[in-house]
Amino acid sequence: ELDDRGSKMQRLFSHPLYNIQTPELNPEERLLQVEQLIEYYKRKVSHWERRKKLHEEAASLANISFMEQKMTYDPDASWLKFHLGINRYALYSRDDPAILQLLSDMKNMTIVSADYTQDEKALKGACDCTQVVKPSGHHLKLALKMRNFGKAMFKPMRQQRDEETPEDFFYFVDFQRHNAEIAAFHLDRILDFRRVPPVAGRRVNVTGEVLQVAHSEDLRAVFFTSPANNTCFFSKCLYVCKTEYAVCGSPDLLEGSLSAYLPGLTVAPRISIPNPWKRSYTFSGREQWELNPFYCDSVKQAYPYNSGNRLLNIIDMSIFDFLIGNMDRHHYEIFTKFGDEGLLLHLDNARGFGKHSHDEMSILAPLSQCCMIKQSTLLRLQLLARPEFRLSDVMRESLELDVLRPVLTEPHLLALDRRLQKVLRVVQRCIRRLGQNEVITKDFIKPTVTP
Amino acid sequence: MILFRRFRVLILMVFLVACTLHIMIDLLPKLEKRAVGAHGEEGGCQCAQHPGREAQGWGKQRARTAADAGWPNKHTLRILQDFSSEPGSNLTSHSLEKSAAGADRAGESGGASAKQHKPLMREGTGGRTASVNQAASRLSALFEHPLYKVDLPPLTDDDTLFNVNNDIRFYPRATGNQGWHNEEGDEDELSPTAEVTAESYPNWLRFHIGINRYELYPRHSLVLDALLKDLVSQRITSVAMKSGGTQLKLIMTFQNYGQALFKPMKQTREQETPPDFFYFSDFERHNSEIAAFHLDRILDFRRVPPVAGRLVNMTSEIRDVTRDKKLWRTFFISPANNVCFYGECSYYCSTEHALCGKPDQIEGSLAAFLPDLNLAKRKTWRNPWRRSYHKRKKAEWEVDPDYCDEVKQTPPYDRGTRLLDIMDMTIFDFLMGNMDRHHYETFEKFGNDTFIIHLDNGRGFGKHSHDELSILVPLSQCCRVRKSTYLRLQLLAKEEYQLSSLMEESLLRDRLSPVLIQPHLLAMDRRLRLVLQVLAGCIEKEGYVNVVEEDLSGDTATHRGPGHR
Repeated sequence: ELDDRGSKMQRLFSHPLYNIQTPELNPEERLLQVEQLIEYYKRKVSHWERRKKLHEEAASLANISFMEQKMTYDPDASWLKFHLGINRYALYSRDDPAILQLLSDMKNMTIVSADYTQDEKALKGACDCTQVVKPSGHHLKLALKMRNFGKAMFKPMRQQRDEETPEDFFYFVDFQRHNAEIAAFHLDRILDFRRVPPVAGRRVNVTGEVLQVAHSEDLRAVFFTSPANNTCFFSKCLYVCKTEYAVCGSPDLLEGSLSAYLPGLTVAPRISIPNPWKRSYTFSGREQWELNPFYCDSVKQAYPYNSGNRLLNIIDMSIFDFLIGNMDRHHYEIFTKFGDEGLLLHLDNARGFGKHSHDEMSILAPLSQCCMIKQSTLLRLQLLARPEFRLSDVMRESLELDVLRPVLTEPHLLALDRRLQKVLRVVQRCIRRLGQNEVITKDFIKPTVTP
Repeated sequence: MILFRRFRVLILMVFLVACTLHIMIDLLPKLEKRAVGAHGEEGGCQCAQHPGREAQGWGKQRARTAADAGWPNKHTLRILQDFSSEPGSNLTSHSLEKSAAGADRAGESGGASAKQHKPLMREGTGGRTASVNQAASRLSALFEHPLYKVDLPPLTDDDTLFNVNNDIRFYPRATGNQGWHNEEGDEDELSPTAEVTAESYPNWLRFHIGINRYELYPRHSLVLDALLKDLVSQRITSVAMKSGGTQLKLIMTFQNYGQALFKPMKQTREQETPPDFFYFSDFERHNSEIAAFHLDRILDFRRVPPVAGRLVNMTSEIRDVTRDKKLWRTFFISPANNVCFYGECSYYCSTEHALCGKPDQIEGSLAAFLPDLNLAKRKTWRNPWRRSYHKRKKAEWEVDPDYCDEVKQTPPYDRGTRLLDIMDMTIFDFLMGNMDRHHYETFEKFGNDTFIIHLDNGRGFGKHSHDELSILVPLSQCCRVRKSTYLRLQLLAKEEYQLSSLMEESLLRDRLSPVLIQPHLLAMDRRLRLVLQVLAGCIEKEGYVNVVEEDLSGDTATHRGPGHR
């Protein structure tokens, strides 16, 4: 009776569980208003026009080949629609055509500018090589600007698909994997969380699309040609500290992930909150939650976890992280506008998918210690464990849409099924111990749980 | 505590002396006969016995070499003994001790010479490769070849690194050694009255004494074999990080006060240097250090200090014996429950490049230390064919095809053998693929008429599938080579002396065998042919006599050292 023909992904998305509609949104529940965003966009364009002249002069003085791209002001740009669609429940809606357009824009659209990201700039060139845990600004990533002023964060490929994290590596020294960024976006969508900004893979021409459109002299200085005649560039601090070598194209093409930028902090401020189940980020240290099985009891009493959906959202996030094997979730971000009831952003997933042969159960601690889960999440997880909607199959199909296919190797896909089973088993154990009513929280009907 | 210990030792000593006396009374006639037999010829010096024995194995020529060059002669050893300042020396107890050593004391820890004595004697007479298949040993056949029997010129006091009558007293630890062992109480058989002879010096010191103007160690040296064994077996008593270097190196001090440079394993045997890496960002490989020593010996250069591979216990042999807080601080237990550390240095000393054991054993190379710089100053020379060490800039020699003409005019390359030494080094580096030869060193004492030391070979053997022809540029630009080197290279290209098989056989002796994977071994054969091609091209272009420098026929001394006083 098992119908294996056709697209499992389409069947999944047409399942009733994927048609639960969020309550009608009032304007306050949207992140941005159209007028506000258009004005912001216009400001950016005029700023760019002013800067362009300066760049041209500097370039002709320094006699460097600088590719000036034509910029177009496009009020229908996909990234604008993405920004406008963000609401207090999700980053995008299930059937938003703008998201598909955004993914394809990131895949194809001309890159007109490359720069360091904000957190790298914030370091102001200071490199402290003694730091064991490197600040995020140290990692090699670039901010790329598209022709329609859309921005994306570029994370280059650091590891082959079949390479695993070496067994002696701590979570905080693990590599940043571009394919993990891509796969995390697809998984998040399949789980119907929609809390990861759209990510697309792309083969970037490091010379033409990065070096020649880099305005900053600092960025140009990290490019060089390798002995094998490939164009390479490096993250300044990691290179200076000799912890990491450069990444190289072959000879110019380099694959990487492009993840869409969220609205600027000036229009949509966000705050970063430490994860209550944060790890110690030391070699030997243990955090409280690793020692105390009743840790969740004290979390439940503390603001903001004592009311509303926040703790349930944390548990969603821990399930997501467990499935991808990401141990590096030290902070999560929320939009200030939505307050404590807003969605949790699942940003920065590049440290997932490191080991397909190992399931790190400690990532599930929020679920196993608190023993509560949203009903909608649980139902979807159960659905994805069924053969006709098997998670690995849906993921495989979804990832086929990316240019960098195969994004994940088969063992990683199969690990998803295995981990999903483990999540369900943890839930069952909780139900056996505490009963359904205690464990399963009906969301959208009863958003708040107060034990 | 110490007082008590000493007291205990004293009692033991008394007991021992009583026993000894008892045995002596029983065995005295026999022993004396034996002592005379063994030491009569050289005045009671056991080490002088070695060359004699060796001579059987290595042909008659060897005897002279060993006595002249390889090892301080009878006279100097006598002087060494005098500086040992051990009171109450007496020949009888010495002979007794030696005989007892001969009988069986193989399990002893401190007395390196005694311990190594028996197996070495067998090796000395029975061929060097007793452990390898003797019948097919290409290596012993190679060393039997006349090209490997060319003598050094006679050595004068100026030609040895140490004037033994002056210098050995500066090794306080070497002489203090004896007393220390006695205090420990575990050397009971070494009675306090035992005479200190040169062979009771630790092997590392004997290695230092053996260094001369032409070589770091003689071709067939029991001391070298013993030293290599020391490197893998001596107890490590302290560890320090070496400052100054780019990559992590540890200085290990042994129980016998010998020291060695430890380079830990950073890459597996199969890993190759990524194509995008520059030569200056490459990893240092411990197996390259080991293989370079063996290659250098097979090429008969003998310019690399002895190196041996060793499995080191990171906990008990590094962490627990270091006083270096900076090093100690970087130890941690990995998620896979292995012991790891990363040390402090400028290249690859971070958690990302931590060195992890399994669970606490780590491989590494141990290179014997050269004599202390205070005792034997060394000069550091910039290699004229040094690379730019810059990502974009080129070095002069890469642009100027006539660069060698310029070098030939510049002292010290305008006379003597220095340019030929550079050529030897070039060939050596090309065979390994080492692009990182920015400097080289010589012993100051020997002035400009001496060999150059091939230190720091960790960046060889990085790519087996690539032959870096730019390393050969000195050779192709200068078109000069020693005849002895040229003939040996031709020999090693022959089927029956194939370099790769010789290397394979030689490397089998190392604890960390296989040191090199097969592709690296085969690459050496391929590279050797390329060297010979370059030389053939040179000869065709400039004529044999202008390329090949005669250093074999006639009086070797005039050729080996033109500026020799």
